[in-house]
Amino acid sequence: MKQFQVHKSPLFLKITFVISVAIIFFIGGITFKHITVLKKSATYVNNSYEVNIELERLISYIKDAETGQRGYLLSNDDEFLKPYYNSTALIKESYKRVEFLTSGSRTQQSNLKKLRYFINKRQNYLSKSLHLMKRNEFDEKTFRTNLIIGKQTMDSIRFKMEEMIITQNNLLKNRQIDYTATMNYTPIFIYLTLIVTLILITIAFIKMNRDLVVLKETIRTLSIAIEASKLSEIVGSFGSWQLNLETNEYTFSDNEYRLLGCEPQSFKASKEEYLKFVHPDDLDFVIESTKNAVHDSNLPPFTYRVVRKDGVIRYFKGMGQVVHTSDENKTYVGTTRDITEEVKSKILIEERNRELESNNKELTAFNYIASHDLQEPLRKIETFLSRLITKDFANLSTAGQQYVGSIQKSTNRMRILIEDLLQFSRTNKIENIFEEKDLNCLLENAKQELVQIIEDKKAIIESNHLPTLAVIPFQIQQLFINLIGNSLKYSKADIAPIININYSQIIDVDEEFLPKNNNKYHKITFDDNGIGFEQEYAKKIFILFNRLHNKNEYDGTGIGLAICKKIIDNHKGFIFAKGVLGEGSTFIIYLPVA
Amino acid sequence: MTTEYINICLADDDEDDRLFFTEAFDELRINTKVQTFNDGVALMDYLNDDDSILPNVLFLDLNMPRKNGVECLLEIKQNEKLNDIAIAIYSTSSSEDHIEETFINGANIYIKKPNDFEKLKKILSEIVTINWQYHTSGLNKENFLMRM
Repeated sequence: MKQFQVHKSPLFLKITFVISVAIIFFIGGITFKHITVLKKSATYVNNSYEVNIELERLISYIKDAETGQRGYLLSNDDEFLKPYYNSTALIKESYKRVEFLTSGSRTQQSNLKKLRYFINKRQNYLSKSLHLMKRNEFDEKTFRTNLIIGKQTMDSIRFKMEEMIITQNNLLKNRQIDYTATMNYTPIFIYLTLIVTLILITIAFIKMNRDLVVLKETIRTLSIAIEASKLSEIVGSFGSWQLNLETNEYTFSDNEYRLLGCEPQSFKASKEEYLKFVHPDDLDFVIESTKNAVHDSNLPPFTYRVVRKDGVIRYFKGMGQVVHTSDENKTYVGTTRDITEEVKSKILIEERNRELESNNKELTAFNYIASHDLQEPLRKIETFLSRLITKDFANLSTAGQQYVGSIQKSTNRMRILIEDLLQFSRTNKIENIFEEKDLNCLLENAKQELVQIIEDKKAIIESNHLPTLAVIPFQIQQLFINLIGNSLKYSKADIAPIININYSQIIDVDEEFLPKNNNKYHKITFDDNGIGFEQEYAKKIFILFNRLHNKNEYDGTGIGLAICKKIIDNHKGFIFAKGVLGEGSTFIIYLPVA
Repeated sequence: MTTEYINICLADDDEDDRLFFTEAFDELRINTKVQTFNDGVALMDYLNDDDSILPNVLFLDLNMPRKNGVECLLEIKQNEKLNDIAIAIYSTSSSEDHIEETFINGANIYIKKPNDFEKLKKILSEIVTINWQYHTSGLNKENFLMRM
């Protein structure tokens, strides 16, 4: 989460920077524009004043000319004509200046043209009066007329000038209004944008500060993680390497060097250097295994040998995978693990397993052959005995007859023992084939096997419907034979045995004997009304050769129930016994639901 | 005396078992001619001889020197001339493997050697009186092993 924040903020900072720069440019532009406007406005004011002053000057030159002329007319003294002559040039100059100053306004230019007309007219009349005077040709009437026209023209000049000054002032005023309007909102606008910029920069600063804190925290966590991983590399005896796919440079962790029996970072990390340590026999394999790794972006685990610096051969297991870091860089990350101890113990276990297996096979074969071959002479003894009894029994003495009876009992017992042992060794077989089989069918076969004894004892066997399960058929049939046979054997002498077989499917948590793992089981119970047993022996009866009764009372071998236990073990189930002495026993078998 | 004999052969390396076998037939009041052989080789020599009278029922022990019961069984079943002889496996073993193997290879019945002479007589009398044609048509793994 924290890392994610740091990843996101550069974008935010970039945006803030761009916006800030844009705003500063904007403010700069606006300010430049407004300063230009101010400058212009100042120029206009200046210009207007200059126009006014020049116009005043112009009129004063005209007045000077008039005054000089008037003085000459009155005194006829040439001294008075000096200012008159001077004024002509001055008027011309002054006029040019006004013309230049008002060049920006068309109204003023047209006004100026009219003014020029009047000035020329006035100057013409002045020079005309002067001319007449010098020649002494003018009479009172002409003089008068001239004066009146001169005065009228002068008034027109004054009027025109006033008009020009007013126009100039109006022009100035209009411009001033325009600029004031522009200038009014400018400071507020600049101020506002400045504030926005400040806020943005402040936010950016806060953000950067926060990122810095997160970064510091991340760096701290990272450095702790690095230390922890270094430590765990030492404890777990593994090392790691990195390959930067952009620069093609390798980095080995300290422990990677130690695994090779070298000082950390004692040589430059590279594939070539590393391959020098690989066992010569495994070199081709390692090169082949790592060849396609870069393209596949995944290096599946593989095991090889290395020769350590001190010459010791160790088993290493390596694997790797491409890691994409946040900056889009690809790095190949791999680990190397020293699995020498594992390999050694695995080899040892494999050896032991092989030994055990062959021992087991030998034992099973021995067991089988022993019991099988023992049957042969025993059968002969029994058959000859039966011949002896049928043919020559009457010829024997009473003691001899008793001996023969004892021999017969012993051989019979021996046969049962051998048969049971054979049965037991058969349930030990390793290759057991599971088949889907109807248990009702197997039960029927079992009853068929026991049909003689069932008839003899007038036993009643009742069962509800059994399921069809994946079992080792002959073993389950044997189980049924043994359990029913057991009930028949340990039945009460005076009561016909009743055996009830019940099936149900249960969950282990509801059963008192089962481990509680929430697994489903097939439960089959065998209830009888036999002699029962004391509950304290419930576990003992499943142990090989364990008997609760003297063999003179009941001719058991102590193998039958051990076979049952073995068969149930083969089916990964459970078998339990419950007994009440004198009332009967119950055998419960649980087979796991597949 | 009728002239209708049932020809019976037994191949068994055990002298005592051959004795029990012949004695049992002697005591049974059935017209039989019993011939015994010490091993599979002797049996096959006899069967392959054109002058021999072929048996109606052949009893085969499994564990014999030189040529064992299963080898004999295979040879007989591959030979068209001998194909119709009813074959009873006669063995001490009642292991599933042996029963399975001989059943698959075409034996007609499997007898575990009994441990009582009277039982032996009973079994042998039953076997020689079996209607083989009927028995063979309804043969399956369940009734292959003869139960007493």
